[in-house]
Parts: sequence; structure tokens; C-alpha cells
Amino acid sequence: MARSVQVKTPSTFTEYKILLGKDLRREFRTKEMLTSMGIYSILVLVVYGAALSQSSQGVDVLQMSGGLLWALIVFTSLLGLNRSFEHEKENGCLDGLLLVPMDRSVIFLAKATSNLLFMLVVEVIAVPLYFFFFLTGAPVSDSWPLLVWPLIVGTIGMAGIGTLLSTITVNTRGKDVMLAVLFIPLIFPLLYACVSAATVVLVGGDWQTTYLTSLALAGGYDVIMLLLSWVLYGYVISA
Amino acid sequence: MAQTNKNRRGQMPSRGQTASRGQTALSTADKIAPVILVLGAILSVLGFVLAFTIAPPVNGARVDGIAIIGDQMVGNQMLFSQKIFYFHMPVAITSFLALGVAAFYEIRYLMTKDSDYDLKAHLATEVSLVFVVMVMFSGEMWERFEWGVWWTWDPRLTTYFILMLLVIGYFVLRAAVDDPEKRASYASVFGIITFIDVPICFMITRLVPSSVHPTIFRTDSGLSTEMMIPLMCAMFGMLFISYGLFRWRLRTERAQEELDRMKQTLDE
Repeated sequence: MARSVQVKTPSTFTEYKILLGKDLRREFRTKEMLTSMGIYSILVLVVYGAALSQSSQGVDVLQMSGGLLWALIVFTSLLGLNRSFEHEKENGCLDGLLLVPMDRSVIFLAKATSNLLFMLVVEVIAVPLYFFFFLTGAPVSDSWPLLVWPLIVGTIGMAGIGTLLSTITVNTRGKDVMLAVLFIPLIFPLLYACVSAATVVLVGGDWQTTYLTSLALAGGYDVIMLLLSWVLYGYVISA
Repeated sequence: MAQTNKNRRGQMPSRGQTASRGQTALSTADKIAPVILVLGAILSVLGFVLAFTIAPPVNGARVDGIAIIGDQMVGNQMLFSQKIFYFHMPVAITSFLALGVAAFYEIRYLMTKDSDYDLKAHLATEVSLVFVVMVMFSGEMWERFEWGVWWTWDPRLTTYFILMLLVIGYFVLRAAVDDPEKRASYASVFGIITFIDVPICFMITRLVPSSVHPTIFRTDSGLSTEMMIPLMCAMFGMLFISYGLFRWRLRTERAQEELDRMKQTLDE
């Protein structure tokens, strides 16, 4: 019975798939993140309802829509990112992950992807709801479907930086506040670009130049930040 | 992380070395630091005085050909508040440089895991915070008296404001982590990411020409010699002050470290 044991090192992509699958499976079983983020986003919309109740509906709200939409996304993402590493601390799950001889950046990519997916799912719910509540009577420009691109580019960047920062803050005191303190200033350029891109496609008019410049800015910021987070992640998670 | 452990052990002799040298032997940098600090103070004061004596008053904000500010033409009155510029810009450049030095030490820390680099990065960021606050303060005065507003979301103002928040965030982060090694790693990583904002802030007046800040830092800055002299005095003065402050703080911190170690030895 002396059969030699065959040990096959899984490829990096397999490791990535397994780690991502773990996060998604956990979410499908508990539905913890999606419900909390979804409900929170609806609550923010309710607050908007009160905040905007005195403005003349339509044009006023349309001008602010890009900003309001992104405020909603930022706060909802903060909630989700805060929790994304919480359950990894339970039962020493993170220590187990670190024992596996694999590149640390795979953990970053898997975690960022799962955060990105959760944030996108919440946006798919929250953005139509925003339209339903505030923009049904407004003269929205025909170019509104292009809103998708700033949403995707912005969410990618936020998921990337957010994953790095939430790995840091999960080990600090007062972690909920700490993530906001570090996260919001850091994503500000991205937020600024995405808000301007979202606003011009909603309002319409001469939007092409502003839209493309803003998207290029946001995309460039994404690339820089994702690369940097990817490189620095190993130092953070094994600290 | 065998490498980390090796380096952590490796750092001990360097600390011991400092201890054995004791108080009597100061490094050259520590010796010249007070001199540089005093020199910096003299130069800054000189620049300040010259800004009021030899630098000519400026028409409106026409330093660099920008005439429209806040949607209105600035009149030809001589603007006294422009004198803030001779203080404002050197301090801003110094804060960028200090953050650059901090980023350098942060990268060195992540490469070597030597806690001395972390200390240096921490102190450089501390010095930069002082300068960042001074920039915000002088900028705020300028804004009020020259543009007539308390705050505007001008691209450079915005990016600099974020920079201030990030530098403050660096210290909030340090205060929230107890384990020294974790604190050093987290702070270094965050400091490196923070540094991304520095080139953005520096370049933004070139990228977004609508900015109310003129582009000063270039070969043909449009400044006359009488304006350049006080500016350069203040610039080098501020750079010297920042270096002096940094070395001084470093000396204090090292003395504190040594004192703690002595106390520990006595307790044992």
C-alpha cells in the first residue's frame, strides 16, 4: 500500500476562485452583508426624502443627483467594508488563511472582488430606487444609461482601497470610525470625478468632454490605487 | 516571515550602539541641527522683512497673468495681502518635501522592518503636519482678504485640504494601534498611500487651468528679482527650519528611548 502521495500546488487562479467562493458562499448562507447594506441604503433614501422635501422637485434635485447618489454609495460601502473583515477574525480564520503558502496579494484580489460584487449588487437595488423616489418627474437627459460607467469605475476603486484599509482598521481601536477617517479623504479625488461624470450624464447638455475627462481621471486613480494596494497588501495582512 | 524576525533581531545591535555612544558623542547631523534651525529662523525673518521692504506691491492678483478671480475682474488696487505669498508658498513646498521624506522612510521601513525608519517617518510626518497647518492658516487669510470668501472648493484648496485630513488620519491611525510592529507597518502603508495626494496637489494647477492658483514653481515664474529674493530667503529658511525641527525631535525621541531602556534596566 505504499503509494506516493501526489501533492499538486493549485494555480494562483484556483486559489483566487476558492477564496472568492468562500466569501460568496458565506454571504449566500448568512445574507449578512447584503441585507445590512441594502436596508441601510434604503434608510439613506428615506433621509434624503426628508432632506429634499422642501426643494422644488425636478430640476433642483436633478442637479444634485450625482452627488446624492454617490453620498449614498459611499456610506453604504463604508458599512459593508467595515464588516468584510469582521468575520475573518472569528475562530482565527485569517490566521488559517495566512498559514496557506500562497501569495498574499491573492487574498487581496479575492477580498476586493467579493467586496466589489456586494457593492455592485447593492447599487443595482439602490440606484433604481433613487430614480423611482426622486427622478420620475425630473427632466432626466437621454444620456442617463451612461451612468453605469462612473458607477462601475468608482466602485472598483472604492472596493480596492476599502479592502486595504479595512484590513488595517479591523485591528485598531474604534475601527468603525477609523475606516471612515482613512477612507473618505483617500477616495475624495475618485468621488469628485465620479460625481462630475454622473451629474453631466443626468443633466445632459454638452456632456461629452466633461464625462470623458472625469472617467479618465477616475480610471487613472483606480489604476494607481489598485496597484499600490495590491503591492502593499502583503505588509498589512502579515503585520 | 523569517526575514522579519531576523531583521528584528538585527536591529538590536544598532540600538545598543547608540546606547554605548551615550550622550557625549553626538552625530554630525545632530550637532549642526541647532545651527541650521537658527539659520533657518534668520533667513525666514529676513525673507519676511524683505517681502515688506523691497518687494513691490502687486496689482490685484496679477502675479502670473490671471485677472479673473471669483467671476469678477480684480481691480488695480495694490494688494497688501499678496505679502502672504512670500510665506505661503515656501511653507507649502516644505510641507510637500517633508511628506516626501516621510514616504521615503516609510518605504525603507517596509523594506527593512527597522523601527528606526518608522520613528523617522513618524517625525517627518509630524514636522509636515506643522507646515500643513501653517499653509492652511496662511491660505485661509489670503482667501479671505484677496478673494473675499472664507472657503471655495478650488481644486488645489480641495486637494490640500484632503492632504491635511490624511496627515491627521495618519496620527489617528497610529494612536489606535497598540502593538508597535503593527503600528509601524500600518502607518507606513497608509503614509505611502497618502503621499499619492502630494503630486496630485502639486500638479493640479497645471492639469486644471481654471484653478485660481497661479503656477509659480517653474523656470519663468513671472516674478521679478525683487520678489524672488524674499521668496528664496523664506524658502530656504523654511527648509532649514523643517530640517532642524526634524533632527531636534529625533534627538529627543532617541534620548527618551534610552531613558526608557535605562529605567527598565534599573527595575530589573
